[in-house]
Amino acid sequence: MRNDQKKSLWSFNFSTMALVLIPVSIGINYVGKLFAQTLRLPLWLDSIGTILAGILAGPWVGAISGGINNVIYGLTISPVSFAYGITSVAIGITAGVMARMGFVKNMKRAVIMGVVIAVVSTIVSTPINIIFWGGQTGNIWGDALFGILRSANWPVWLASGLDELAVDLPDKIATTIIAYIIYKGLPKRITVLFEES
Amino acid sequence: MRSLSLYVKRNSLIHKIDPLTKIIYVFVSVISPFIMPTLMFAFSLTLINLLLLLLAKVIKRVIPIISFVFIIILTIFVIQGMFYGANQTKLFTIFNLSFYVEGILYAAKISVRAINVLLAFSLLILTTPPAEMIESLVRRGMPAKLGYIMHSVLQIIPMMSSNASIIMDAQRARGMETEGSLWVRIKAFIPLIGPLVMSSLVNTHERSIALEVRGFSAATKKTFLHQEEVPGGMKQLRVFFFLFLTAVLAWRLVL
Amino acid sequence: MKKITINNLSYKYLLAENKALNNISLEVAKGDFIGVIGPNKAGKSTLCKSLVGLIPHFYKGEFEGEILIDKLNTLNSSIAEISLKVGLVFQDPFNQISGAKLTVYDELAFGLENNGVEREEMIARIDKYLDLMDLNKVKDNNPFELSGGQMQRLAIASIMALKPDVFVLDEPTSQLDPQGTEEVFKAVSRLREENLTVILVSQKLNKLADYANKILFLNQGEIVAYDDTAAVFSRNDLEQMGMGAPIYTEIARELGLKNDKDQYPIRKSEIKEMLVAKYGKNIG
Repeated sequence: MRNDQKKSLWSFNFSTMALVLIPVSIGINYVGKLFAQTLRLPLWLDSIGTILAGILAGPWVGAISGGINNVIYGLTISPVSFAYGITSVAIGITAGVMARMGFVKNMKRAVIMGVVIAVVSTIVSTPINIIFWGGQTGNIWGDALFGILRSANWPVWLASGLDELAVDLPDKIATTIIAYIIYKGLPKRITVLFEES
Repeated sequence: MRSLSLYVKRNSLIHKIDPLTKIIYVFVSVISPFIMPTLMFAFSLTLINLLLLLLAKVIKRVIPIISFVFIIILTIFVIQGMFYGANQTKLFTIFNLSFYVEGILYAAKISVRAINVLLAFSLLILTTPPAEMIESLVRRGMPAKLGYIMHSVLQIIPMMSSNASIIMDAQRARGMETEGSLWVRIKAFIPLIGPLVMSSLVNTHERSIALEVRGFSAATKKTFLHQEEVPGGMKQLRVFFFLFLTAVLAWRLVL
Repeated sequence: MKKITINNLSYKYLLAENKALNNISLEVAKGDFIGVIGPNKAGKSTLCKSLVGLIPHFYKGEFEGEILIDKLNTLNSSIAEISLKVGLVFQDPFNQISGAKLTVYDELAFGLENNGVEREEMIARIDKYLDLMDLNKVKDNNPFELSGGQMQRLAIASIMALKPDVFVLDEPTSQLDPQGTEEVFKAVSRLREENLTVILVSQKLNKLADYANKILFLNQGEIVAYDDTAAVFSRNDLEQMGMGAPIYTEIARELGLKNDKDQYPIRKSEIKEMLVAKYGKNIG
């Protein structure tokens, strides 16, 4: 897609395909979460779309998908979601960068990508958890771990980080694998259209 | 099919205020207790938000939005009450578990602040249709394409979730097991989400074309079908909010 | 007066093995109604996409030749600029809804807002095309809740509101039920009344016989025939190339009915006239 306007750092210049992908990816996040709830899976699975957006159209589109995802959630479903917008942005960027580095070539690499996304997500979420909830995540098992570690006098940041990682690691690996499977199933004629000009 | 929104139509003073003024208010109300972290300050702002919600006649609708937070708050009181780093003064002991004043106060501060955030946002989202909020920002220089994305999300989520339940029913009718062991349920996930995701991704191609041929990437300055009504005195109100924020900052720096 | 000039147009999609269009040259006069026919992979959709500038601006691929709409060269203009001269409506009615608007009325404003049309003018145009496309009753509905035929008429109205001189329709009824198809063809006849230049790709040959003054027959990216409607449908090699003819042409062929230009008639009224001329008024 050709864009005749000059590109500046702050301009909002993405291909139309990439822009249309963003609401769809946010819809996918939502549906992922919905199915996970309906099937009573012990995972969130609410960032499949953000990761797909990163894989398909690059880190910036992934970042915007993540950011807007949480803004819209915040405005329409649950205001706390605003605070975690930065985490979603980081997930989108990581997926985009790693996909460009070749981590969607095969399943083994996709799993590695899932681990990295989980770690990034934990690093970004932990300060938010500390500022907002004093370090907890709201997940029973994670918070139980947090309680035990705090009672053993572990520092807040470490206890909170492990609390978050306990939740994030299985979730983000599963999410990345699902995104990878969907990506591999897409027709090539569609995926080429997403690539940034 | 409805657009995603928590907006409640009411005839109130708060409803008449324009989106931007409300957005600025929420920003100031949410950020202030983080700048000036005292329990009393957070508590006062929370009280103001409660009064405004009452004035907007939407106070009952707040309950489902914030109810989930009480479980987290309970655990915050338990964990911080026992293990907060600065704990010194014992308050009470049950079953050999000691709770401390410092931890309880810290938990109270976090909790009130969190509730304040939720109430402030509730005030905005219960009294402002999201589409108007987005358009108001686009008028003030937010990229129109960003506005498109947000408008589109509001429609796509209810649409995809209604498709999701259709798929769910169809797959169950074809004998897919969606109950049972964890492994059975995990195996059901991909066949459920796969077709929905594929078709919506493939559809982006044609939707993009449709947007392009309707001037989506036109370099022209956009116009608006709907006119925005801003009641008198809003400019002054916005200035007041910013002055308040500056005062809070100054107060923090002085202390 | 010439409206569209295509010179040596060739196009190959990215990742494709063969050219979708191969060295096409043709002219369309102002006010012409061109019916485009041809089997699968004939290049019909590619031609439509080229006329509105999606090729080469949206699709990356190998583009050769040129398309002129009046004096505007599609290669040097943006899709947005071209869209004010050439409108496009395609198969899937659902995907043509912007997805950003909550009512049919607002949906019609989408393209106008993007193109910076002044508010009063916008309202005047919306009212006009709501009326023309018979959408007044549903103007406050959510666009996604319309029937297929209504959605497609909304797509046509949205494009008409941009006031293009050329209207390209790429199989606008292929995903509609018979009622929706009928509604859309009624809408298409309004386009003709508005004196637009129309390019209509359709498998509905009977309808093309009613509307089109010329037929463009494409096959494997090349022009097989481009001539007056009756002349193209009178060809004997249509079936051989996987195409039929309108039902009345087939009947006339069976009956051996030809007009003075040595062509088979294409419409019911013509057959009737010829039979009346041959056998007198008291038949049937």
